[in-house]
Amino acid sequence: MGSERVEEYLEAIFKRQAVETPVSTSALAEDLKVSLPAVTDMMRRLQEGGFIDYEPNKGVSLTGEGRRKAVSIVRRHRLWERFLTDILGVKWDKAHEEACRLEHAISPETEDRLASLMGDTDTCPHGHPIPDRDGNIRDQDVRPLSEFKPRQKVRISAVAREDAWLLQKVEKLGLKPGTVVSIESKDREGSMKLKLDDRKVVLEKDAARDLLATLLSTDEEITPEEEVPISALRAGESGIVKSYASGRGMLGRCLSMGFTPGSLVRMIENYGRGPILVSVCDTEVALGREIAGKIMVIRKRA
Amino acid sequence: MAESGGKAPVVALAGLPNVGKSTVFNLLTGLSQHVGNWPGKTIEQKTGMLRHDGLTIQLVDLPGTYSLTANSAEEQIARDYLVKEKPELVVAVLNAASMERSLYLVAELIELAPRLVIALNMTDVARQEGTKVDVKALEAALNIPIIPMVASRNQGVKALVEVIGQECIQPAVPRAVRHIEAGSETEGDITRIAQLLTDEDTDPYPRHWAATKLLEGDEQINKLLRERVSEGHWMEVDAFLTEKESAAITIAGLRYDWVRKILATVQQKRPIGQVSLTERLDRAATHPILGLIILLLVMGLAFAVVYGVGVPVQKFLQVSLVERVQALVFEQMTFLPGWLQGLLGDGVVGGVGMVLTFVPILLLFFLAWGFLEDVGYTARVAFVTDRYMHAIGLHGKSSLPLLLGFGCNVPAVMGTRIIESRRARLLTVLLTPLIPCTGRMAVIAVIAAAVFGGWAMLVTVGMIAFSLAVLAILGFALNRSVLGGKRAALMMELPLYHSPNPRTIGLGSWQRTAAFIKRAGTVILIVSIVVWVLSYFPGGSIEESFLADIGRGLEPLGKLMGLDWQIMVALLTSFVAKENTIATLGVLLGQESGGLTEVLREMLTPAAGMAFLVAQVLFIPCAATAACIRQETGSWRWMAFSIGLQLVLSLGLAIVVFQVAKLVGLGV
Repeated sequence: MGSERVEEYLEAIFKRQAVETPVSTSALAEDLKVSLPAVTDMMRRLQEGGFIDYEPNKGVSLTGEGRRKAVSIVRRHRLWERFLTDILGVKWDKAHEEACRLEHAISPETEDRLASLMGDTDTCPHGHPIPDRDGNIRDQDVRPLSEFKPRQKVRISAVAREDAWLLQKVEKLGLKPGTVVSIESKDREGSMKLKLDDRKVVLEKDAARDLLATLLSTDEEITPEEEVPISALRAGESGIVKSYASGRGMLGRCLSMGFTPGSLVRMIENYGRGPILVSVCDTEVALGREIAGKIMVIRKRA
Repeated sequence: MAESGGKAPVVALAGLPNVGKSTVFNLLTGLSQHVGNWPGKTIEQKTGMLRHDGLTIQLVDLPGTYSLTANSAEEQIARDYLVKEKPELVVAVLNAASMERSLYLVAELIELAPRLVIALNMTDVARQEGTKVDVKALEAALNIPIIPMVASRNQGVKALVEVIGQECIQPAVPRAVRHIEAGSETEGDITRIAQLLTDEDTDPYPRHWAATKLLEGDEQINKLLRERVSEGHWMEVDAFLTEKESAAITIAGLRYDWVRKILATVQQKRPIGQVSLTERLDRAATHPILGLIILLLVMGLAFAVVYGVGVPVQKFLQVSLVERVQALVFEQMTFLPGWLQGLLGDGVVGGVGMVLTFVPILLLFFLAWGFLEDVGYTARVAFVTDRYMHAIGLHGKSSLPLLLGFGCNVPAVMGTRIIESRRARLLTVLLTPLIPCTGRMAVIAVIAAAVFGGWAMLVTVGMIAFSLAVLAILGFALNRSVLGGKRAALMMELPLYHSPNPRTIGLGSWQRTAAFIKRAGTVILIVSIVVWVLSYFPGGSIEESFLADIGRGLEPLGKLMGLDWQIMVALLTSFVAKENTIATLGVLLGQESGGLTEVLREMLTPAAGMAFLVAQVLFIPCAATAACIRQETGSWRWMAFSIGLQLVLSLGLAIVVFQVAKLVGLGV
């Protein structure tokens, strides 16, 4: 049994434990891009080796021994990643795979050298803490960004998955770990509108779930009235258009139909399902529910 | 006047959808209209002539648009026309009952049309809704001549013609272009982008305008400039655009601010609280259940009228005209060789007759449809059916061409143009041929009556339900597979209900019917002649023809469905036009004693009869429809796909139906 494979598995279980315990085998299969039977097979062997507790149908969790071993791998992995990006200039979306290969072939001496070379950096490029020599790992009070609410100010601390596509996207949007963002609004589908220093970006729910963040403050002073999608208005209620949670595609049409910020929208018909009928600029407009869920309004008190 | 020596001055009509623009256009041009397509697009282009004081003016009806940002093909056509063709004058047709929205378009037009006249239409509706507009004050505020109109009642047309004539003979000095962002923060942003571009980059569009559209996120302008501007400059432009991502909202906001500021002084509105007639009617018409019942009643009534009046007229034409001319050919023109008589009588006259006898039914159907369209009901149909269309990946607008398909699939396929998304349009085009058209209904009625006697009515209704079920399942499947599962989004204006305008309805119906005659007519005639040749040679009768050979060749396949070769041939000839099935059966089986009905009853067991009906309703689109599919999708491949799909579907399901029916004992 290759020790590299064992290390890979332990590492994967360790990372998954941050999200769910016990870890399901299907999640592991997905993370490691291997078949489910292969995972179950390996689970049995890891259990025999005393690294994990395995309950079929429920999942696995690391034993003390397993954790120690996993943490040491994680330490080497994250040190390598730091080295690759900071010293060698490898792109952050490539560093993970490289580090996966390098982490198994390193002696404790080299590991110490690497650590001292990297000095006081205590996280990997993706924002995860690097365990110290004794296996202690700094506790982070992080939650997925998707769990925060509008008007909260948070710092992005890490990217949960080291998926190249995701990392590229995060970089492009300027949301690398360390960035401070305010959450402006959140629509029904979970898309979030974020405010950075000078710009605004829209992040879909999936991506927001993959970003880990820490709360900095909740802006209680300015308590604007709650933004709701048009589709949340009941027949007879009115709202003032505030913002759009949709991308650019529909924006032009929304604007030319009269759904501009500040315009008054009155709900004529809303049966909870199917399209809705609103009045905007003296005209009845039919809106499919998916668009109606993306135009945000402030409900007018009757 | 030296400049107008050869070319007539051109006046373009611009306006939002549902503001009575076509009515105004019809009033100005009368019958001197030419209906065609905009170059390279499947969007209708109407042009016409206006004669005034010895001057001939060419009028062009631009597609109805809400703005001039390229959100749709219509908007792109409208603005490209203004920029590239530079019409002498633009007449903006506005809806007096919806000023805010109307003036938004004016705010955009001002930048591209130096000479502008406003036709303020629907002033009667505005009055009913309790809106008052001070025309003089608005004229002064905009510095644009305004003519109040009620086009549906022919009011204000003369004044409009006067002003158009005046502007064409003695053009006013073009207004200086006033930019909407003047004095706002956005002014700097637009200037900044405009400085990064050159006039050549943006040609033929004005540079300043192109810069504005870039900020508004206009994809067409963005694409054009990305190709033209040097890479270094473009990176700078692109970075700036990313930074100013919300500029589209700001600029639209500026336009609405401008509009609202003007309206504040010139418009008086009834306080909100009173519910308009349209809204009260819509509580019923758009209700999920009540609305559906109303829809069924309305459609039922429409069909009752169409068939009640149309079928007798159709029969009358068939007997008194087509059959007489055929008799003339066969009895009087005996000097011709037999085959030529047949070709003329059956091929040509039969083909022309087929088209001709269908004209009354179609004209009536289009009149009924035009009526519903003109009073504003069809938009409600789209709304009510939206939730059901969603299941098959379409939205409500697709149900309009599908309903039109009950009349004839040809205009239905053409009618898919109202759907903005190409994907949804394609899916609708592919589904349309599954709607049983009047031609197919005629065949079903005859066969069901012959085979099922007293059960005929039930079987006919069952067949309609069956083809709609197949349509739904196929739509669901195509949406998930070939067309990749993305849904179309609905955003549609529901116009105010108003009283119908006979002229608009009449002209529209006539144009649709004419399009059918032109498109379908030629195709049907050609295919009719080809099929006749196949059915005559080499043996001199249909029993010994190529067609019969093909039919006999298909007999093994036919046997699986319990159908003889004659029926397979009849099915094949329905490619000419669906109702041809009956004519072919008449030729192949009619001579025997007892007539067609008796023979069919003898020949077809209930199982085979059922299989025949299934094959018939689902069989490949007729030649005219296929030609339209090719035209509307712009692709032979999709046409072939449609034909292949329905061939497999119709024969496959007919086999299944026959085999199952036989198992349960209906095969005797």
